[in-house]
Amino acid sequence: MRILVLSKSVPDLVEELALDEDNGELLHDDMTYVPSEWDDHALEEALLLKEEVGAEVTVLAVDTGDVDNMLFTALAKGADHAVKLTGDFDLATSNRKRAQAIANYLRDNTFDLVLSGVQAIDDIDGQIPAIVAGLLEWPHASVVTEVSIQGEQIHFRQEYGGGLQAEFSAQAPLVLGIQAARKPPRYASIAKVRQMMKSSTVDEIDASADTVPELEIRRFFKPVAAGHAEMIEGDPEEVADRIITILKERKLVRG
Amino acid sequence: MALRYVLMAATVVLFVVAGAIFVGRFWNIYQVMRKSRATIRTDQIGKRLISTIEQVFAHKRMLKVRYSGVLHLFIFSGFVVLLIDVVGSIGQVFSPGFSIGPVLGMIVDIWVGLVLIGVAMAVYQRAVIKPERYHGSDETDGYIILSIITCIVVGIVVHESFYPYAAGPIFGVKAVALSPMEFLAYGLSRIWVSLGWTGATAASIGYAVGYTMDILMIWVFLAYLPYSKHLHVFLAIPNIFVRKMGPHGELVTAPVPEEGIAIRSFRDLSWKDVLDLYTCTECGRCQAVCPAHAAGQPLSPKMVILELREALKKELSGEPPIPLAGGVVSQEELWACTTCGACMEACPVFIEHVPKIVGMRAALLEDGEIDKTAQKVLVGWDRQGNSFGQPLKKRPGWTKGLEISIKDARREPVDWLWFVGDFASYDPRIQDLTRLVARLLQQANVDFGILYDGESNSGNDALRIGEFGLFEALAQKNLEKLQEAEYNMIFTTDPHSLNALKNEYGKYGFHRPVKHYTEAFVDLIDQRKFDLKPLGIRATYHDPCYLGRWNRIFDAPRELMKRVGVDLVEMPRHGENSFCCGAGGGRIWMEEVGIKERPADQRIREALTLEGVTHFVMACPKDVAMFTAAVASTGNEGRLKVVDMAELLAEAAGLGVPDTLVAAR
Amino acid sequence: MGSILVVTEILGGNISDTSRELLSKARELSQALSGEVVAVGFGSQAAQALAHIDADRAIAVTGQAVEQYLPLVYERSLLQALEQESPQLTMVANTTMGLDLGAGVAAGRGVPLVAYCNALTVDGDEIVAQSQVFAGKLLAEVVLPREEAVVTILPGSFPASMVEGHPTITAMEAASVPGMALIQILAPEKSDVDITRADILVSVGRGIQDPENLTLADELAEAIGGVVSCSRPVVDAGWLPKARQVGKSGQTVKPKLYLALGISGAPEHLQGMKDADLIIAANTDESASIMDVAHYGTTVDILDLMPALTERLRGE
Repeated sequence: MRILVLSKSVPDLVEELALDEDNGELLHDDMTYVPSEWDDHALEEALLLKEEVGAEVTVLAVDTGDVDNMLFTALAKGADHAVKLTGDFDLATSNRKRAQAIANYLRDNTFDLVLSGVQAIDDIDGQIPAIVAGLLEWPHASVVTEVSIQGEQIHFRQEYGGGLQAEFSAQAPLVLGIQAARKPPRYASIAKVRQMMKSSTVDEIDASADTVPELEIRRFFKPVAAGHAEMIEGDPEEVADRIITILKERKLVRG
Repeated sequence: MALRYVLMAATVVLFVVAGAIFVGRFWNIYQVMRKSRATIRTDQIGKRLISTIEQVFAHKRMLKVRYSGVLHLFIFSGFVVLLIDVVGSIGQVFSPGFSIGPVLGMIVDIWVGLVLIGVAMAVYQRAVIKPERYHGSDETDGYIILSIITCIVVGIVVHESFYPYAAGPIFGVKAVALSPMEFLAYGLSRIWVSLGWTGATAASIGYAVGYTMDILMIWVFLAYLPYSKHLHVFLAIPNIFVRKMGPHGELVTAPVPEEGIAIRSFRDLSWKDVLDLYTCTECGRCQAVCPAHAAGQPLSPKMVILELREALKKELSGEPPIPLAGGVVSQEELWACTTCGACMEACPVFIEHVPKIVGMRAALLEDGEIDKTAQKVLVGWDRQGNSFGQPLKKRPGWTKGLEISIKDARREPVDWLWFVGDFASYDPRIQDLTRLVARLLQQANVDFGILYDGESNSGNDALRIGEFGLFEALAQKNLEKLQEAEYNMIFTTDPHSLNALKNEYGKYGFHRPVKHYTEAFVDLIDQRKFDLKPLGIRATYHDPCYLGRWNRIFDAPRELMKRVGVDLVEMPRHGENSFCCGAGGGRIWMEEVGIKERPADQRIREALTLEGVTHFVMACPKDVAMFTAAVASTGNEGRLKVVDMAELLAEAAGLGVPDTLVAAR
Repeated sequence: MGSILVVTEILGGNISDTSRELLSKARELSQALSGEVVAVGFGSQAAQALAHIDADRAIAVTGQAVEQYLPLVYERSLLQALEQESPQLTMVANTTMGLDLGAGVAAGRGVPLVAYCNALTVDGDEIVAQSQVFAGKLLAEVVLPREEAVVTILPGSFPASMVEGHPTITAMEAASVPGMALIQILAPEKSDVDITRADILVSVGRGIQDPENLTLADELAEAIGGVVSCSRPVVDAGWLPKARQVGKSGQTVKPKLYLALGISGAPEHLQGMKDADLIIAANTDESASIMDVAHYGTTVDILDLMPALTERLRGE
């Protein structure tokens, strides 16, 4: 079983997002980037599969200029290989373009299972795993938990609203967008990451940059801030009435 | 005369056999130590000698637990006297007519008495008092040793008492009569006389039995000891001599092993660590003072040592090795430690528990095993330099509420550089205290500054969680900024930062003066920088582990309280014996598994036993968080006010203490 | 002008509320663009479920393969429909099914997609989509191409369509693709108390005062379809298990609704829940820090408020 884990870095939401408010552009170079948390879950699920059935795990990132540490961290956690797709990419590169490069890589390299975070905070033009699968015409599923290998079949669960789940089986090759790993993602100690930097290498693969459908983004802007709570006055009965109305407006209760 | 040769032969043969067993055992131990990591423990010889004498002959730490200390001193002193006896007894047998004389004989008898009293006390302690600290120790071994000791000292008196009557038949010499100075032997011989056991046969048998109980048993003892916990008889003194000398609060000493600090197998221990394992006497004093143990968690520092020793024994007997971290010592035990250091402070033979625990934590961490909340904190330190998951830029956010702005020490020289720390910078409740300290400094016209967002967490807790790489990264970041700044002294409100700056950064060549704010403020008061009016309250003071035990700053906070007119009443556990709040070593971020009563809650109860005490004073931001919660969860908000030292000083100096602080307590 | 294709989800023989939201917006856009609305539904109940919706035409994809949701088959079938229709805009809800189909068909069709869309407007003859990204911290305005595009719509963005219509219904045979099979459907477990997965949390704090009052919270949670969670003091007191604790030392939650009842909002607690979509806080102290993160607040006694809410929820 050969598993490919897709990982990408996204702006760290702990820090302020850098936005040029005058022309509505993101200032990518002024932001700190961290691995997308869903991708961490995808990697964890892959590593759990490796521990269970001895899968070979390769972690891949498109070279947007800041991915080495992320790849070495994945190696420190237990991934077997790390691949960096190099080419005309930077932090502003669209998901569509990244997915195209990944799909091209997958055409040339054999993998049974591709795992990725179901989404990332910045995928304005669609989620990478679904696009990759769409381009390759491979089967795929999103919001997946609990992947297992049972003989030739890959079993997985998909979550829907209201706690409903379904279990599916599928044949390789398959792309899954992971919602959450069975266990919280493991920690990679700094010492171990450093050790990996000394003892391992990241395979650099030149990826062709096809023309892909790109979005015409007019601007980014901040939503109007919420501020302090709007106080609901009145006696408990009046307050309850008002709260029910708010909940109805938001479709949080029926009626 | 034949009996003499039998005794001589038995003495020699047994000695050779016992000696071989004894040497073989030490050879094994030496082999393990030889393969362990290096550590420098032979520097500062003079200091080491003095400390060894203090601890060995004056029983300094032993006497902290009075009853045990006294009984041990009795038995221990008997061992010195034993040497006189060995010379005397063997001399008698091998060189007929040899005598140590009545004076030395009397001394021997006195100490036989003392040893017997000590043994009786020890038996009473084990059988009747039954201290909890013995839980998990090998009690049978304890009784065996006490029996052997009793046997030996009784044997001394027995063969001495028969000597005047046996000297002729066995040695063919005419013995001098026993002097009444040798009161025990003399008294016993009077009994033999009255029983009529002074004939050649009876006296010979009596002498032979006594000699066997004494000298032959000593040889047996010699062979048995190295395989029992009483190996400390031989190892305690060397172990005390090679103790860690300091800086006390430095957890990882240079040179740091290239492969990191993780302890996975016995090869990753230092030779002193190995020596520690064999030296442990299972007295359980560490267990008795351990906050994790007191809270009902699965950790006992004693059991960590014993589990390691047991595993080492098995490994040496050829069993396949078990990983130390998470195998021999469970994850739950390792993560329960607050690194408060009470165990190391209590250990009479200077065993170093905390570095071993942290080393094993490092091994767990390298395998990705860590409490998930603590993991988030580690990631936060790595990314934003703080444990709050807050932006780096917000680090100086607390300064916003101040009337006078604070100097940026990165841009202009300052007299005092304030290293603020995470909690004081980010925790909204503690920010009020931080501003109070700033206002006090401004009132005293101190020329001070901060590093603003150039400051990162000191790494003290990261290191203690076992993340040495992260500690190093944080230390490098801070050292870079400190390098740029111009200042005469660093001061900090946070004992954890203080410890890192003062003790852990030294290995990177950083040796600037670092003071805790209580020390700095005492100086300011003495320079009459404040106009203080006495508070007239009765309070107790909690020594934070990283201020007191690890940095020996006990007096400054107490002096400060005295100067603001506080009547200080000490809790039973204070100073170096202070009881941890439970937050250290990263515990503040870890899930509380199996806790029956939190250390902080226990501490509040301890304070409540003090007559008329209305205030509980702290000097560490983490304590503020812990004890504010503890006083509330135990429902004692009305009886005890939890206050920070800065609040007392501000109150006495006439600065208005913010309402939020009053509300918080 | 081109048509607007709406992918509907059918639950228990009816189209979902979210699908109705998509239909109302589709109708509004089609009027501005003078195109038609085409709905697509799957399964044997589709024809009936789509019979009275406000669409001009409807395609009922039928066949054994689409009786149960199967990502692969649905995606291929939808591609068939798109092949046939070539709509200017395809609207999919941002649900699990939407996440499966949206990006997949956009890639398959070679057209762009706008994800997490919460507003659509017509500007001249162009459609402008608003996308909510970076966990709601930013919005992006995107101009859709005139030819063809796909958008995935966040549920709750538009009012649900209540208009009755009479679409012409055509049937379409589902695509036949092997490779993926449904094994079983797992209904949510009753004893499931994973508070991180609940959409609605009724969270209680010190203000609950007595463990007996927890019954009020339980009743409210049941009536509102949520789960009871709490702040640290409640766990400390042993009134609720640790698994229910929200905050730094407990769980981090992001529910759609967080009712903070008698919680003052220690920073450790706020850290665990501040990202909830809607926070309504009841605390006797208006200046409590919970009010800084809450959207709505009240100072009435929670012991009065809880039964009042339960009563209203049960009455409906």
